Amino acid sequence: MIGFNALLRREIRRFLIIWVQTILGPLTAAFIYELIFGYVFRNVSTGIEGVTYATFLVPGLIIMQVMINSFANTSSSLIQSKYNGNIVFLLMSPNSPALVILAYLVAAIVRGIVVAFAVFIGVCWFSSVMPYSFLISMFFLIIGAAICGGLGIIVGIVSVNFDQIAGFQSFIWTPLIYLSGIFYNVNSFAPLWRNLAYFDPILYIVEGFRYGFIGEATINLTFGTIYLLFLAVLINFIAYVLFKRGVKIKY
Amino acid sequence: MSYALEIENVSKKYKDFVALDNINFKIEQGDFVGLLGVNGAGKTSLIFSIAGINKFSGKIRVMGYDVVKDEIKAKLSMGIVPQEVAIDSFLTVHQTLKIQSGLYHVQNNEKWIDEILERLSLTDKKNTNTRALSGGMKRRLMVAQALVHKPPLIILDEPTAGVDVEIRKNFWEFITDLNHQGHTILLTTHYLEEVDKLCQKIIVLNKGKAGKQQTKHEFMNQSFSFDKTLQVTLVNATVPNELKQKVLNQQQNTYILELASDDDIINILNLFRQQNIKIENIEINHKSLEDIFMQHLGR
Repeated sequence: MIGFNALLRREIRRFLIIWVQTILGPLTAAFIYELIFGYVFRNVSTGIEGVTYATFLVPGLIIMQVMINSFANTSSSLIQSKYNGNIVFLLMSPNSPALVILAYLVAAIVRGIVVAFAVFIGVCWFSSVMPYSFLISMFFLIIGAAICGGLGIIVGIVSVNFDQIAGFQSFIWTPLIYLSGIFYNVNSFAPLWRNLAYFDPILYIVEGFRYGFIGEATINLTFGTIYLLFLAVLINFIAYVLFKRGVKIKY
Repeated sequence: MSYALEIENVSKKYKDFVALDNINFKIEQGDFVGLLGVNGAGKTSLIFSIAGINKFSGKIRVMGYDVVKDEIKAKLSMGIVPQEVAIDSFLTVHQTLKIQSGLYHVQNNEKWIDEILERLSLTDKKNTNTRALSGGMKRRLMVAQALVHKPPLIILDEPTAGVDVEIRKNFWEFITDLNHQGHTILLTTHYLEEVDKLCQKIIVLNKGKAGKQQTKHEFMNQSFSFDKTLQVTLVNATVPNELKQKVLNQQQNTYILELASDDDIINILNLFRQQNIKIENIEINHKSLEDIFMQHLGR
């Protein structure tokens, strides 16, 4: 486990050193979203009785930043290592692929948790909402970070340059995030978009996390939990296989 | 006692290009071996195969451990300095070495880290961010990274490129000490005088094929031809076409010419006189390692 700890420490230190970008940035972004959207849409119905739009938005903004940052932690670390060439030191080190993937994943989850607390501090001024169940919130936070961190590992491994990561973020990641009900109740979507949103795993992460805050969900969370657990295992298993086989990193 | 490194029938292809073609050799523990080859000869492909970065066919064992089947033990037994400078730019020198130690399952090695930094002339940079290091310092830091776990086999892929002369001297004293303590060293470098001075044995890689492992004495005394060379510096002229095949090395107007016998010296000088080529300087030398290496490659 010494190798795992060393790699985990390196990955955590990496995002803490650039805290302005990795912690203050998400806090500021969430603050501005809440400031503007919370005010402009203050009269919009959330579809949940007694829950104002500002309150509805708080958990959405937190989990959005968690997902974005856990994805960025793994994908940017790997692509930078590949770009700088120092990934050879990782590949030469005597650590199993499973431990390497686990260290990257745990670091992504740690970043997700740190960002969640930072963003909460940034947006808690707009609503008096406190988690209805801290454990449920943490469960969906961790599983969301694990899915996005694992996805970041896959994208970091298969991408050969920063453009490809940016492409993934623009054409896959952003649509999935905006379709996931962060800013709106998905039940207010047109039927076509609503049905499409049900396939979006991020919807279940957002709804699960929001349930942990407000104690109300607009979709079936039992199915969502099983779906997310399955995806977390599948995505990280794929990441492990890609790393073990050395796809685009060993020649 | 197992060999420090065993390479058996190792081949490596990049699509249609054969980088390594059925390489075989063994390095005994405690040896200091020079792996020679021009750019593209396959040295780095071989080193990356040993390191577990390249996929290859054949067998490679480090200290008796198969690098594929006993990957972890094999990797713990070696420290590699890659050719390309590649450092994690988020960390200080000390943090880099602590994390590298952890990656090699080593803890509480502060004393050894301090000694490495001292011997590699990096002590005053201990708490400096790696981004602020010069190219030569980064290369020495990579050497330090390879040594944190005191590996029995140390593989150095051009470790002194860009390192200045005085620090290079300290560096080689350190590596020689490690060799005297029993560490096996495999070195590739373009500075053949370093190989001449340090290595006990030599292996030549040429177009993906490995020559026979020889002691330096055997390598220097192989009978390609007469063991003397003629060095001439010409005044505003190039060597005549008849002598072009004899050129072992050229730097501006200075040529090192291969000799077949003592009589050859007279023949060559006559040819210069017949063609009115003026000579500024002339020396007769014994062949250097570089001359023999170039001959070995057929150049």
